[in-house]
Amino acid sequence: MPARQITREELKQHDGRKGSPAYIGYRGLVYDVSESFLWMDGRHQATHLAGTDLSGELGQAPHGADLLQRFPVVGILLDPRQES
Amino acid sequence: MAKVAREMVEKAGVNVNQLLELLVKNASAELTTYYYYTILRTNLIGLAGEGLKEIAEVARIEDRNHFEALVPRIYELGGKLPGSMVEFHDMSACPPASLPKDPTDIKAMLTVLVEAERCAVRGYTHVCNLTTGKDHRTYDLALAILNEEIEHESWFSEFLGEGPSGHFMRRGETSPFVGKFLV
Repeated sequence: MPARQITREELKQHDGRKGSPAYIGYRGLVYDVSESFLWMDGRHQATHLAGTDLSGELGQAPHGADLLQRFPVVGILLDPRQES
Repeated sequence: MAKVAREMVEKAGVNVNQLLELLVKNASAELTTYYYYTILRTNLIGLAGEGLKEIAEVARIEDRNHFEALVPRIYELGGKLPGSMVEFHDMSACPPASLPKDPTDIKAMLTVLVEAERCAVRGYTHVCNLTTGKDHRTYDLALAILNEEIEHESWFSEFLGEGPSGHFMRRGETSPFVGKFLV
């Protein structure tokens, strides 16, 4: 498991825009999708944004969470209660 | 632009600009796939490759048809295609279906083909999900394309031995589902 702990504010800063890496959160983990053709400029299929926790949105996507296994996990997404 | 047609879609709660971006990205995916499949089809030779050539060709032609069918809907809704072909290529909803490094590796070719179709199936499912019950014309178009993309995926998937799908190669004219949008 990755040791790095990432707050939601840190996640937000990695939005894939202006050369910044594109990170997404999913069920407590943070994935780096910067290398994905489908996440260019931090946007995916015009509807999803990097720098956000997609745990709720992925359930509505036309693919499973298994596709995330193609991307490196860069950290653990801290629960807002843990952040304080 | 079809002003009232757009208004109806907006009134139904669809984010039309977001939908237009998706339609343009998918139009790009179709036209670029048509291009990349031309190269793949050309390289499908030899005992293993020749057997795939016909379905690769049908998928190639039908993908071009999908591009042709999407364009009027983009303009009806007030969108447009980018002026630059380079920009259009780079905004594709799916990665380039590039020729594998070893063009004699038929399994690698099939993997490229099936992954391209799977990307398309996901993409049009997404468009259908966004438009169902709200934008009837875009939904009808996306569903027609989705039907053909699922068949393409099935053809290539069967060649990879992933299991039967009950489909057979196209008989008769191409684009049996999308054809009604090409008149």
